Order: sequence, then C-alpha cells, then structure tokens
Amino acid sequence: MSVQSASLTPAAQEPRPVSGLAQFVQMNLEVFRRDRMALVGACIYLFFVLVALLAPWIAPYSPLEVIQENGIWLANEPPSPRFYLGTTNLGRDIFSQLVYGSRTALLVGFSAAVAVALIGTVVGLVAGYYGGWVDTLLMRLADIAFGVPFLPLVIVLVALLEPSIWNIVLAMALLLWRDTGRVIRSQVLTVKERAFVAAARISGAGDLRILFLHIAPSILPLSFLYGSLAIGWAILTEASVSFLGFGDPDVVSWGFMLQDAFVSQAMSRGAYYWIVPPGLCIMLSVMAGFFIGRGYEEILFPRLRRS
Amino acid sequence: MQRSVVVYLVGRIAQSLLVLWVVVTFLFFLFRLAPGNPLVAYIDPTFTEEQQQALMRQFGLDKPLSVQYLVYLGNLVQGELGDSFFYRSPVIELVMEVLPNTLYLTFTSLLVAYGVGVVGGILLAWRRGSRLEQMGVTFTLMTRSAPEFWVGMILLTVFAFNLGWFPSSGATSPGTLYASEWDKLTSWDFWRHMVLPATTLALYLHGLPLLLMRSNMLEVLDEDYITMGRFMGYSELRLMVRHAARNALLPVITAMALGVGYSVGGNVVVENVFGWPGLGRMLVRAVAASDYPLAQGAFFLIAVVMVTMNLIADVLYGVLDPRIGAGQQAQH
Amino acid sequence: MWRPWSKTGAGFSEVLYPLLLLFSHTPSRFVLANLSKEGTPMRRRVLSILPVLLALVLGLSACAPASAPASAPQGAAPEAAKAEQGAEPAAEMGELVPQIVVLSNVQAADPIEFESTRLVVENMKQLGLDVEHRAMPWEQQADLVWYNRTEWQMTAWRMVGRPERLDPDEFVVNLFHSSTAEKGYNFVGFQNDRYDQVSLAQRATTDREERRQLIWEAQEIIANEVPYAFVAYPQLPFAYRSDVWKPDTIVDAKGIGIKNFWTFVQAEPVGDQADFILNTGDVVQAINPLFISGAADSWITELIWDRLMRVGPDGLPQPWAAESVEWEDNTNVLVTLREGMKWHDGRPVTVEDVIFSFQAPATDEAPMYKPFVSKIAGIEKVDERTVRFTLSEPWAAFEVASLAKINLIPKHIWEPILADLATKEENAESYQEETPIGSGPFRFVAFKPSEEVILEANPEHFAAPKASRWILRIIPNVESALGQLRNGEINFLSEWEGDPTVLQGVADADPSIELVATTEVGFRFFAMNNRVAPFDDTAFRQAVAYVVPKQAIVQNIFKGFAVPADSHVSVALEFWHHPDLPQYDFSLEKAREVLAQAGYTWDEEGRLRYPAGR
Repeated sequence: MSVQSASLTPAAQEPRPVSGLAQFVQMNLEVFRRDRMALVGACIYLFFVLVALLAPWIAPYSPLEVIQENGIWLANEPPSPRFYLGTTNLGRDIFSQLVYGSRTALLVGFSAAVAVALIGTVVGLVAGYYGGWVDTLLMRLADIAFGVPFLPLVIVLVALLEPSIWNIVLAMALLLWRDTGRVIRSQVLTVKERAFVAAARISGAGDLRILFLHIAPSILPLSFLYGSLAIGWAILTEASVSFLGFGDPDVVSWGFMLQDAFVSQAMSRGAYYWIVPPGLCIMLSVMAGFFIGRGYEEILFPRLRRS
Repeated sequence: MQRSVVVYLVGRIAQSLLVLWVVVTFLFFLFRLAPGNPLVAYIDPTFTEEQQQALMRQFGLDKPLSVQYLVYLGNLVQGELGDSFFYRSPVIELVMEVLPNTLYLTFTSLLVAYGVGVVGGILLAWRRGSRLEQMGVTFTLMTRSAPEFWVGMILLTVFAFNLGWFPSSGATSPGTLYASEWDKLTSWDFWRHMVLPATTLALYLHGLPLLLMRSNMLEVLDEDYITMGRFMGYSELRLMVRHAARNALLPVITAMALGVGYSVGGNVVVENVFGWPGLGRMLVRAVAASDYPLAQGAFFLIAVVMVTMNLIADVLYGVLDPRIGAGQQAQH
Repeated sequence: MWRPWSKTGAGFSEVLYPLLLLFSHTPSRFVLANLSKEGTPMRRRVLSILPVLLALVLGLSACAPASAPASAPQGAAPEAAKAEQGAEPAAEMGELVPQIVVLSNVQAADPIEFESTRLVVENMKQLGLDVEHRAMPWEQQADLVWYNRTEWQMTAWRMVGRPERLDPDEFVVNLFHSSTAEKGYNFVGFQNDRYDQVSLAQRATTDREERRQLIWEAQEIIANEVPYAFVAYPQLPFAYRSDVWKPDTIVDAKGIGIKNFWTFVQAEPVGDQADFILNTGDVVQAINPLFISGAADSWITELIWDRLMRVGPDGLPQPWAAESVEWEDNTNVLVTLREGMKWHDGRPVTVEDVIFSFQAPATDEAPMYKPFVSKIAGIEKVDERTVRFTLSEPWAAFEVASLAKINLIPKHIWEPILADLATKEENAESYQEETPIGSGPFRFVAFKPSEEVILEANPEHFAAPKASRWILRIIPNVESALGQLRNGEINFLSEWEGDPTVLQGVADADPSIELVATTEVGFRFFAMNNRVAPFDDTAFRQAVAYVVPKQAIVQNIFKGFAVPADSHVSVALEFWHHPDLPQYDFSLEKAREVLAQAGYTWDEEGRLRYPAGR
C-alpha cells in the first residue's frame, strides 16, 4: 500500500507511454490478451450487448405480455420447452423478461457510467488546471458529495420525483462523480507541470485548448477505468431501488424481476427459476466491469515486480 | 499534538458540519418542492376546512417556505427534529430508538467482514497461485458483485424457510421484553436474529478487506526484509503473521472506519429484506408514506453516522501514518 | 512529499479510500502515476472512442424501455359500426374523443389494482379510444383524486371494509349523495335528485323492510347510471394454527373474516401456548382512542377500550358495555351501563365517564370522531347507571355509527389532557399515553413501534379472554409472515397481501393450518369522473362498464379469491344486497352497441368520435 511502500516514487509509477492510434488500439487489445479475466469480462459485456440489441429476435414473447389460454392466464408455469424459464405469477414469460432486462441494465449502466465519467473528468480537469477558488469550490462540492449517503439519497430522489430509470441515473450522476473528480484532479496537478504543457502555453495556445487537447487525452484512460466500475454500481443501484419498490413500473429490469418475484412469494413456491437468473445476470455484469477495470489498470500501471 | 495537525482536524470538523448543513437544506427543500400534497396521507377527507387548517398549523405547513426553513434549522441546532406526520410524536425519539439496532448490525457485520477478510487475505496471499487462491478471489468478487438483497433472499429461503435454523424477520422473538439494552445485547435470542442479516452484509463487505489485505501482503512479501527472514530460517507462518501481516494491516484498519459510511447503502436493503428494525427500514417507510420530518430525521442521522466515521478515519490515518509525524518533525 | 490533505484540504477518506475500492484487487499503485501524454495523436484516439460509446448509448435507448404492447383497435369494429349506420357522411362525425388517462397505484404497492387497470385499459383501446395507464404512488393518486376534483378522468380505487361499514348507511349516503361531492366521499361528482331523496330516506326510517326497499332502489339507480364500474368484492384469506386455537372458538364475522374482535376475545387455547400472536405488514402508528389511525391500530384500540355496543359476528349491533339500549322514540335513546366495570388502573367506570366519552369528540380535539357524535344534541345522566342520548334528527344507524364506534375513555385521565391540548395547536391525535388505560378485555403492556405491541388479558373484564396475551408482530415481508406461521412463531395470520394460492397450498399441505376466506364488505372498482367529458355521458360510462372483464380479473388476478361486484352494497351484506341488478358482463360488442345507440361513431382509422354536435 502506498502508505507502506517507501519505494513508491512518481517515477516508479510511470505507465507505458502510448502514442498514435495504432498503438492505442494495440494497447486496448493487449489489455485483453494479457489478462484472461479482462477478456472474460469483455466477452460477458459483448454477450449482453448482443442480447440487448437482438432482444426482439431472441425473446419468444413480449416481456409484459400476459400469456393466456382460454381466458386463463398461464401463471407460475415451471420451465418447459415453451417457456424456457417458466412464467411469473401473472403469466409472463420469465426468459423474455430476462432478455429485455438486459437492455435496461446496459442502458442504465452505460448512461450512468458516461455521466459519472464525464462529470468527474470535467470537474477534475477544471479544478486541477485552474486552481484557486474554482478548485476550492469544486472540491468542496466533492466533499459534500462524499458526505451524503448514497442509496438513501437515490431512494429519496426517486420516490419524490417520478419513479423512472432516468431519475435513478440522475441520482447516481449527482453523487458518484466524486471519486473520479478527485483522482483526475490529482493527475492534472502533476501533468500540468510537464514540459510540453509549458511549451504549448508559450506557443500561445489558449487555456481550453491546452485543457482539452493536451491534458485531457492523458487523463482519459483513468476516466474509462472509473466508467467501467460505475457500470456495475449503476446496475446494482437500479436493482436495489427497484427492489425496494421505487423502480420504474413500465420498464422491465432485472431488479424489477427480483422485486416481482419477492412480492409474489416466489420463495415460498420454490420458484428458483425465477429468483436465480436475474440475480445471476446482475452479478455477471458487475463482475465483468471489475475484470475489465482490472485489466486496464494492469496496462496503465504495470507492476514493477511480477509477484 | 503539532499545530498543523490540530488545524487539520479543526478544518475537517468544519467541513463535516458544512456537509451536514448542505444535506439538511437539500432534503428540506426537496421534500417540500416535490409534486403532490404531503398531507394527503394525513388528512381524512371528511375533515372540515377548519380542521384541515388546524392540522396544517399543527404541522407548521401554513407558513411560507423560508420561515419553515429557518424554524427547522433553529430547531435542528437544539437537537429538535420536529414531529413525525405519521406518528405525531417527536422524530428524535423515533430515530434514536432504532439507531442502536442499525449500529449493532453494522458493527457486527463490519467486524465479521473485516475479521474474515483479513484472515482470508493472509491465507490467499500465502497460498499464492494455488487453486484455493483462485477460487477464493472469484468467490469474493462474486459476493461483491451480487445484489445484497438477492443474497439475502437466498439465505432466507435456505436457512430460515427450508431449514428453519434461524428466524426470518425482526430482532426479537414475539413477546420478549428486555429490561435494559445490556440484557438485549447479551441475549442469545437477539444474536440468533442477527445472524442472517449480519451474514448477508458481511458477505458483501468482506470483499474489500480481503482483496486489500491480499494485495498488501503480496507487496510486503516481496520486500527485502521478508527475503532476509527466509534466509534466516524463520518459518513461513511466523513471517506471514508477525512480520508481513502487521505491516499490511494498517490501511485495512483505517479502511474499516470508512466501511461504515460505505455500507450504509447495504444496510437499507438488508434491513428491509429481514425486517430488521433499524434506520434504513424507517427511512424507506417514511419516504413511502410522505412523512417528511421522519424521512429527513432518519436521513440526517444516517449522514451524521457516516460523516462521523469518515472523520474518525481521517483522524486515525493522521495519527497512524508515520509519514505525517515524520514529515512534521522534519519541518520543525 | 505528497500530502493529500495539504493541497486539497481533503483527508484520507476522500482520496485514498476510493482508490482502495478501485485497486483493491491488485497491488495498489496510486494516483502518483504520471501518465504519458506525448503529443496530439491521443486526440484521435479519444475521438474514435466517443462515437462508439455514443452509438451504443443511443442504440440502447432507442430499444428500451419496453412498455406494454399497444393493441390496435379491432379492424372489425369500425366496419360493423359503419355498416349499422349506413354510409355516414364524414361531416356528421363529432369531435374525436380526447385521450383518457386512467390512474392506478404502482405495481409494487398494489399489483391487483395495477394489473386490473392494465387489462381494462387494453380493452378500452379496442373501443377506438386513446387511453393511457398512469401509475403513481397512492399519495399522489389520492392527492389528484381528492384535492383536484376536476383534473382526473378515471381511476382505479377501492373502498375498504371496516366493521362500521357493515351497516350500508355509510356507503349508501357518503358515496353518492350530492352533498359530499365537493369535499367528501362522492369524489366522482354524482348528481341525482332521486338518489339524494332515497339515500336520506333510508337513514331516517326505522322500519327495516322499508329501509331495505329504499336501499334496493338506491342500488338500482347506481346500476343504471354507472358512476362506478364495479370490479369485485375481494375475499380476504386468513389462516391460523388449529393446533394452538380450538377451531370452534374462532369466529367468522360476516364481511370481515376471522380476524375480528370476537375471535381475539373468545379464542381458546388447545395446549400450553396461550399467547395469541398475529402479524401486520405495516407499522403501528398510534394507540389512541381518539384517533383513527391505521387498520392494525384499530384492532388494538378495540381490545383496550370498551364501547357501549359492538357490531356482532352477524353484522348487527349488540349491547356490550351497555347492559341495555332502549329507543324511547326515534330521537331519544336510553342506555344502561353494565355494573362492575373497572378501568385498568383500578378505578370504576361511571356514567360520568360515558358522558365524557361522547362529549370529548364533539370538541375540536378529535376531528376523526366528530362526525360520529355530530347528530347527538344532548346527553343527560338519568341515574348512576343510566344515560339518555337525544338526537337532533332520527338516525337509523345511530347504534352502529355512534354507540358501537365511540370508545369509552376515563374522564379522570383525559379531562386534564384535553384541557391542556385545548390551549395548544395540537389535538388529541398527537397525544400518546405512556400506558394507555381503558376498560377493555386486554390491558396494555408494551409498544415498540417498529416491532410489536404486547397486550395481556384483563381477568376482571366481564368477557375476559381465554388467551393470556395478545401480541401483534410487525412483519413487513409477507413470506416471512407465512414462514413464521409455519414454524409457530406466530399462530394467526391476520394479514396476507400476497398470492392467496400460496397460502392455500400451505394450508392444504399442513393439517394444523386452517385457511378461512371471507367475502368482504368493501370492493374494488373504477371511478369515473362524472363532471368531466366523456364521463359525463351515462352511455359512455355504461360502455366502459361493459369492458371491465370481471370474471377474468377474479380468476387470474385475484386467483379466484373474489366475487364479481355489481353494487356498492356488498354481497356479504345479504340482507341489504340487491339480488337482481344489471351485471355488465364483459362484452365488447355490447359496449360498442351502447355507444352506437348513443350516437358515437368510429372514423376510418377506428377512433371513437362523439355524437354529432359535440
């Protein structure tokens, strides 16, 4: 840990230099080549993205469609060739819900990730570069964001405004940028002392130009890193909020499925085919985020000693 | 204490107060500006106009927003959190009654999580490269990625409903009255009720200390003095525990204080699944019932707990980090 | 040397801990790293990533969120309508019927209401209407429906069954009398002079047969005018352990079920377990005889405090704390108090206490109880055990609505409290006694608001319970409650918000668990705002009633645990329910017929239009 290792010096932390598009692509590929788990993570994401995009073709039914026969709803059917994962308490196909749920998960995940990474990066850039009162103000905001308990705030916001997934994303964007912001700011502080920045300044480049064209690109991998973690947090948060009953009732998500199962006494019925798959999907998508993040980190901050 | 450390501490305390003030203000306006009439849940439609007005006066809702806010702040400073719309009794009493339950659950879970995490981290670092390590890391990542309520639901089904080993809800068995808090804490029944919710939380929380400990251990194990120790013939076990672990442990300890803050989210969900009578459950119920004062009070208390633990963590870090002390002395 | 706090004022918690979170699965190298930033080629990398990300997000947002599939109007309908009316020139068609928004609770809170609404909305679309199903939390729904009476069109709603509602008076008058249209229970704004007459007449007459005819007529008017589209009378399932309580001592009260006062007081233990342990999903708000708070709260209040009369298991009022109740004429009632009654603190119950109990709600301190004593013009003490009530007008429901409703409270405790409250803003609803004192069959022991309420039997009561304690557990998780019933932690399942077939399955499998389902006196329905077009047209309302698939809802959503409803007087009230009302069985054809006959038409796209001239 940094506290312990006196051997930690800035120089020792130098990550691999990357320049040029080709090398960038190669770096990305190498992430996955080197770290098997990162590859697994990427595959999981790719799988979910494909499922989400091809949902209308994969899912045999519409997720909220009640399947009936002669006026009787086919409720609580166990898994069968007709219903791969059985049906819910109100006659809906669980497999179809799972498939369409991936759309919500990815939508919420990516939106929140983009929002968090974007806000955090911009805040970090501006605070680090300009310094002074701007810096102080932004960091005070970050302090406040750190002091607010996360899930309770999401609950309060979602309950008071409409229960919709965009409000969940909003609540996450309001608080989760704090980690990214601080870290990027620290980075910027060190980067802006670098020679090439001074050179750019001397040659008359404006502040914004320096900020976004020279400094930002170096910071971006870190943003992507946090972004990939944020995807996982976002999916988990959406699931928790739905589970507590504050979710969006028009949108089928994995959290919604779990809440539906919970409320319909699926446990007492022993309906494991209903309870397990959505939770498993959530778990996999969050893990994928961790793996990819770890893979990037390996590349960006390579270990000095292979331990 | 050195002066700069004192200054640092004062600064941190001031900052914590600022955070709390912002939280309180934000909540206050958020609740009152939200759509819908808050009193719908509390005014019986058969009330006459005067009765409704009287009720609004009682809740203090007839005054303009800014006045309400100032009154609220003034009360807050005196420790008065207003009256719950739902219970019609002081919020401070209601939340203080359930606060201990949340604290017991949180601390127990943290202790278990960090205990298991630390030991597990040492173990996995020791058995580096083995299948045990791979399985261990995977398992930990899995529990960190799975939704807590889902894990809770499964534990509930298996251990409470199917096997019947543990009770499925609440903190006490029906009809039990404890003479004092101490009696409750030392009763077997109470702990039996705590097992499942604490296990659920601990499963989620143990990931961080375990992985952190493991990675610290791995670094430390590469240090020169460990290699020296090996040459000198010390046993692996002794090296692990007496030398490596001690050094790797420090950050984990400080992280634990922060664990409270970050586990607050998990608390809310777990309390709901297991019907644990704590702050999280009270918050959810208050929000759903538009009981603004109670929701504000519960939220505020959660924020206070979190901010306090962050503060303690900072102080701990400041005290424990040798660099700070060393750096200070070097300057003076 | 890098000191995080010196530059940013932040501490360990803000900077390093988040990094711990991030990097905890590998050896941690922190923020001190300097990333290389040689030159501008990075820019291209950035620019190449962004479009990909953007495309992904846009692509996904185009696909999500999945809402309920909208079914297109039947192709057959407009053609059939046109064929009926012959070739209508387009100019004859009226305005397009505007979009209709149907409100309901959210799925999580009330899946029955939510799903029924969804079904009905789908069916309404088949009539060529543009309909939207809008779900919102109950508080918002109530806010709109109660406080903004012209701003909603149609909503799912429910009237809950309570013991006081076992007399049809409350529903018959309050729901549809024009006087309650502004602020009271007639939130649909139904206006019908004949109904006003009939509903008040039934209240005034004391002849039961005459009253029944009037109530029947009232139901006929409603069935023809259709201010509500009725859905069903729910059957409330309750369960108990027959190895703990003797089944023949469990009382099934009409319209209420086995969870009632009589069961609590009369249940006899089979074996050693003499604690009556039951559950509720919601927290207990207050234990206060002057406050009508939640449902579970009223169970507690009924046990701690006595009333002069009580509604018996047959639905009719019977003397309770009163030894006898005599109507001297139709506005004077003589009530004799039972002898030997004592408060839980040992003091005797006196006639002064009775008088005080009826005077207290008449003040402003107990607004919820005030309506129940509003028609009492005077109370006078006749002797040490007798009191005379004088009504301001004849009131047939006086016994049920007042004598069986007002709690008897001790004057020596409440008089000083009320005097003190009169000087303050708060009323008695905010007051919570430390140890509530009543004279009822159970005494207060403890109240832990989020966990449980404990009462113990009062052996000195004239109807002393056979159980030794009455313990109400707060169990928010419905499945947990079932689990606890199965393992004996609770022995009476008093609330089951879940799927009744699950409960049925458990009861069938376990011989010591008995399930008893009772049709309740409350009902579920769709309220149509009679003030707002198109719901101001009776024909339109009738058409909507025809597209409510009652049978399908009962079978699939209630899982068979309900009875289709046709009136605001429940089938549970056998004596008062009209046996032969128009049923409005589900039929799209009949709905279209009714609309066509009223002059509605459908255009080429199948959309419904008003009759010409509107």
